[in-house]
Amino acid sequence: MAEFEPQIIAFCCNWCTYAAADLAGTSRVQYPANVRIVRVMCSGMVNPIYVLKAFEGGTDGVLIAGCHLSDCHYIDGPTKCDEAVEKMRKTLHVLGLEDGRLRREMVAASEGVFFAKVIREMVEELKKLGPSPFKTKMEAPA
Amino acid sequence: MSEVTLEIDGKKVTAEEGTTILEAARCAGIEIPTLCYHRALSPYGGCRICTVEIFRGRRSRLVTSCVYPAEDGLVVNTKSDNVIRDRKVLIELMLAKAPKAKAIQDLAREYGIKETRFKTEDPDNLCILCGMCARVCEERVGVSAINFVGRGVERDVKTPYQGTVDIDFDVCIACGSCASICPTGAIKLEDITAKKPAPILSEFEMGLDSRAPIYIPFPQAIPNVATLDRSQCVHFATGKCRICEEICGADAINFEQEDEVIEIEVGTIIVATGYDQFDPSVIPQYGYRRYDNVITGLEFERLSCAAGPTEGKILLKDGRQPESVALVHCVGSRDQNYHEYCSRVCCMYALKYAHLAKELAGADVYQFYIDMRCFGEGYEEFYKRCSEEGVNFIRGKVAKVTDEAITDEEKGKLIVVSEDTLLGKMVRVPVDMVVLCSALEARSDAEDVAKLLTINRRADGFFLERHVKLDPVATPTDGVFIAGCCEAPRDIPDTVAQAEATAGKALSLISKGTVTLEAAISTIDESICHGCGRCEEICTFSAPKVADKDGKLVSSINEALCKGCGSCAVVCPTGAVSIRHFTQDEILAQVSALTEAK
Amino acid sequence: MPRLKSSAELEKLRQKILSKRDPDRPTIAICSGTGCHAYGSEKVNAALEKELKKQAPKGEVDIRRTGCHGFCEKGTLVVVYPDEICYVNVKPEDAAEVVRSAIDHKIIDRLLYVDPTTGKKVTHQSDIPFYKHQNQLIFGNNRQIDPKSIDDYISLGGYSALSKALFQMSPEEVMEEVKRAGLRGRGGGGFPTGRKWQTTRDAAGEPKYVIVNCDEGDPGAYMDRSITEGNPHCVIEGLAIGAYAIGSHEGFIYVRQEYPLAVDNLIIAIEQAEEHGLLGENILGSGFDFKVKLHRGAGAFVSGESSALMTAIEGKVGEPRPKYIHTSEKGVWDRPSCLNNVETWANVPLIISGGAMSYASIGTEGSKGTKIFSLVGKVNNTGLVEVPMGVTLRDIVYKIGGGIPGGKKFKAVQTGGPSGGCIPEQFLDSRVDFDELARLGSMMGSGGMIVMDEGTCMVDTARYFLEFLADESCGKCTPCREGIKQMLDILTDICAGRGIEADIELLEELSEVLRDTSLCALGGTAPNPVLTTLQYFRDEYEAHIKEKRCPAYVCKDLVAYYIDPAKCKACMICLRNCPADAISGGKDTIHVVDQGKCTKCGNCLDTCPARFNAVVKISGEPVPPPLADDERVLVRGKE
Repeated sequence: MAEFEPQIIAFCCNWCTYAAADLAGTSRVQYPANVRIVRVMCSGMVNPIYVLKAFEGGTDGVLIAGCHLSDCHYIDGPTKCDEAVEKMRKTLHVLGLEDGRLRREMVAASEGVFFAKVIREMVEELKKLGPSPFKTKMEAPA
Repeated sequence: MSEVTLEIDGKKVTAEEGTTILEAARCAGIEIPTLCYHRALSPYGGCRICTVEIFRGRRSRLVTSCVYPAEDGLVVNTKSDNVIRDRKVLIELMLAKAPKAKAIQDLAREYGIKETRFKTEDPDNLCILCGMCARVCEERVGVSAINFVGRGVERDVKTPYQGTVDIDFDVCIACGSCASICPTGAIKLEDITAKKPAPILSEFEMGLDSRAPIYIPFPQAIPNVATLDRSQCVHFATGKCRICEEICGADAINFEQEDEVIEIEVGTIIVATGYDQFDPSVIPQYGYRRYDNVITGLEFERLSCAAGPTEGKILLKDGRQPESVALVHCVGSRDQNYHEYCSRVCCMYALKYAHLAKELAGADVYQFYIDMRCFGEGYEEFYKRCSEEGVNFIRGKVAKVTDEAITDEEKGKLIVVSEDTLLGKMVRVPVDMVVLCSALEARSDAEDVAKLLTINRRADGFFLERHVKLDPVATPTDGVFIAGCCEAPRDIPDTVAQAEATAGKALSLISKGTVTLEAAISTIDESICHGCGRCEEICTFSAPKVADKDGKLVSSINEALCKGCGSCAVVCPTGAVSIRHFTQDEILAQVSALTEAK
Repeated sequence: MPRLKSSAELEKLRQKILSKRDPDRPTIAICSGTGCHAYGSEKVNAALEKELKKQAPKGEVDIRRTGCHGFCEKGTLVVVYPDEICYVNVKPEDAAEVVRSAIDHKIIDRLLYVDPTTGKKVTHQSDIPFYKHQNQLIFGNNRQIDPKSIDDYISLGGYSALSKALFQMSPEEVMEEVKRAGLRGRGGGGFPTGRKWQTTRDAAGEPKYVIVNCDEGDPGAYMDRSITEGNPHCVIEGLAIGAYAIGSHEGFIYVRQEYPLAVDNLIIAIEQAEEHGLLGENILGSGFDFKVKLHRGAGAFVSGESSALMTAIEGKVGEPRPKYIHTSEKGVWDRPSCLNNVETWANVPLIISGGAMSYASIGTEGSKGTKIFSLVGKVNNTGLVEVPMGVTLRDIVYKIGGGIPGGKKFKAVQTGGPSGGCIPEQFLDSRVDFDELARLGSMMGSGGMIVMDEGTCMVDTARYFLEFLADESCGKCTPCREGIKQMLDILTDICAGRGIEADIELLEELSEVLRDTSLCALGGTAPNPVLTTLQYFRDEYEAHIKEKRCPAYVCKDLVAYYIDPAKCKACMICLRNCPADAISGGKDTIHVVDQGKCTKCGNCLDTCPARFNAVVKISGEPVPPPLADDERVLVRGKE
């Protein structure tokens, strides 16, 4: 069996993390290809529904990454995001998803290397956790 | 008000009806000596020194000019033989009463009196019972903490029941008016009250000088007018005084003035709120506020200023000139415990003070630096000049300032204990004065200002610019610009440049006449909106507003304010709010596509 | 007692009171002024009342406690009417006899006054020389009334002047009458009263105040006391008339702290007047309102000065203020205030009742009416004396005063209290009035008259007055506070034998400065005693300074007591009476005074029997050294 390659959906804020990912690329910093980036304007824009949709679709992990607290273009987006993530974790817990599948990070625009590191770490973690329990389709009784 | 014309010492004088001879004479430049007269107090007529001779027809009379009203047709002689004779004897009497009082000695000298023929009871007595202390306390201060007791020669100025009853009648507010108005220095505040007088420290003079409750902040203040400190003003404390209002020739003082809240509609705001000086007393090892002669850079600035409290002389607290001065860089800056950033201006002003200490006080100067940041025009050259002038540069972070002497040479001095990295060892340098180059930090109310104007602060506390390199005077909030030290420590050339930059930016915004909106902003589907107000609650920029629209409560977005952060869309329970170009459907579609593609 | 609502009702009441009085009924009038009080008049009164209960239980004899009669040398005074028999120095033990004599219309010989010049007894009060030569227009009523009874006052015509003023004269007419009468202030200044009233009336400001000055601070003066104690209603009536003329509705009577009986009697009088509708609202139905308040002083001489008195009424410390703006324009609480002395107000009803012309017919050209003097000091008949202005000093001192006791020689009379001066013998024939006394360098002042004989040291007198003023100076202005003290120091030194030549010149210089620059008259007139004594008795000053001699043998430091060994008979009386044990000697040893121990009390001089007359006072020369012990032995033999 081929090694399990987890899929990560990363919601990255336009001003910081998206630029960091860009920077990682232009700096030729290597990081695993497991990540799929969705650009949002602010980490505070991430609606829990997006996260649920992502897990529903079978993704193994979700990363929500945005600016540092004092760098936010919209002042307090990161704070709102943190609060939303807190609530989300409870829901995911109820749904049977492990904590490690949802990661909240603050990545500044200059932190390309750090972004790569985060992705690498998350891939390792998810490999250990295994595929998302939502991936297994429910079989109808014969 | 009608006028009267009288003749004083042969000179024709006109005065307003109701003025006294003394006031009329003074206005005409004729000096009459007084001891118990003060223009802020009602006339007393007690010392009798101001006696003059008045003539009406053939009759003459001797009257006290401080009380007698100037009358039409009066002829006054302030130096007639009778007046001089009487005045001399009065001075002799007062010289016997208070032989050591300088004011009386001066008068005696002026009138050629070398000694008094009268007996002195108490040679140390200074009080001449002019009553000005009691009168100022009653008429102006309004607390009547002291007054006359006793009759005749027993008369004295005391507090109520002083020394006779064991009750504290200490109503004195320790304002010091009595001591300052006393012409002979007889009043000692410690005899009147247990309270310690607290001079009002002048903020501009960095506490090195005192100021009055009503004061002009500094010579170049804009506007160059006086301001009244209500917390210290005697009128607001006791309801009396109001001397300033009476004296002001322009009737400019209005005690009833209240703060006015003025609403102005503007399109741009420029924030130039400046910086605060870091308080080095939180670094106890540097001895600030513990040792008298450890001062900050701004205090040294006031000492060296010709218009300052010492008229430009560099002086220690005891009035001596320092023979040696130490300058300590990076106090509170470049320091993990306090501020990590560099305050930018200190190296250069330290060099300036080193130069001034040499020039004004001829002192030996020891400068303790980590780096010398001389980045600007002529800066490096000035550094070289200072070192040629003999300033001793010691590279190292100062560990402490102490007064505990180990050698004889150190006795009575402040010893700066520092590492000298170039020598590779610790050094102890005894000096008379230590100047701390304390950091520039964000103002204590920066948080409140930031909240008010919806701008952000960086981790170092200063306001966040839109882009550190490419847009240093704008903020992420449209229309709000920042300039000067509120953004980061800056010296004068840079601050001036920034000021002009913000002005330019502001003007270009205004002159455009239109404001370009963000594209990706919030929008509301009024058919779904219930007007719950959660969007209004969560928005940092106050863009959504719930209001009645045709009988229904709905929210609507102020498009000029909305930045498009998307928080409102997250909290909207009905999905009425969506961000253009980042709608829920669009993102969900993206997510779906990404998860399907394997 | 319902309020009197018209002039007619007042007259009716007067007639009613008079009708109830039987002029033939025996009445015992006992002087109850403070002077006789000090003689024990209370006890005499109590004894009389007891006797009356016993001897005249049905009230056949009236007793009336009257105000001061003025003859204070001879207290307690009792006068029995209707025969006007005057008894002097009455004691409680005499009570029974007095009552008996009243009932029987008899005379008690031993209690009669004896005229020292004739040796004869005088029966009737008005025949006594002391009274005969007076003209008691103001004071006379004291003898007839009980100050605690308004009925007595009304019975004598009281309040008829007020009634006349209110109903028959306009305020301007009252003012004119007082002006034409030429009344001048009796408190010391002698300022024309009518003019002061006019200034107050014309001044701007309401309310206007009228004030009675009963501070009477001059030592030895007690005229005002006797008027307010003995006849308070005449002052109230005068005040009300003045208020009507000026347009004032509120008055103050300032009484000094030291006059409790005056305060009591005034309070009673005010109450009674209010009850009768003679004070308060709508007096006698005339529509004129006037109320009076009493204010007590607090023990300061300076508060007798008008501006100081007014600050005291305001509740502040009594301190004078410069009076370039008169108090009649700005006085109490800066309102026009007319202040006059007790005696001045007491003259007013007389002027209104009798008319200005009648009043002006008494007195001199510049000083009209009578003046009450307090005649005290070295004079036989001390007491209160009322004479028309213009009577000579000689008449007052000798005719009324009875001359100098002990046959001593007259030296000077001090008039005007601490503000006045000493008038020597050569001016005894001067006519007493405001201007004449001022011409002599003194002043009338409040009417104090202190007679001095050869035993009074004039330097000490000047020193005494300065000591008084130094204590009473309010201390506000430099010349008075410092100057008086320095003058006092110089005079004390002179009296103690430490005077130097330059002292007199310095005193004169200081006097000029005090006169010129003092804030009020206390300081301004303080030099007067010094200046007049220097003017008329300079030789005494020079004796004190140059010879260290006190010509009057008064100044203790310059006087020594010496026992003449030629006259001493070693009787040991002085020795035993010396409180300092300073006399040594024995039954046959001539006594010697130890000058070191002697306190100059004078006991030895007083107790040495007159036939020996061995003790003498020495001044200005060294005391002869005591005889050697063996020479002191007295050999008694034929004398």
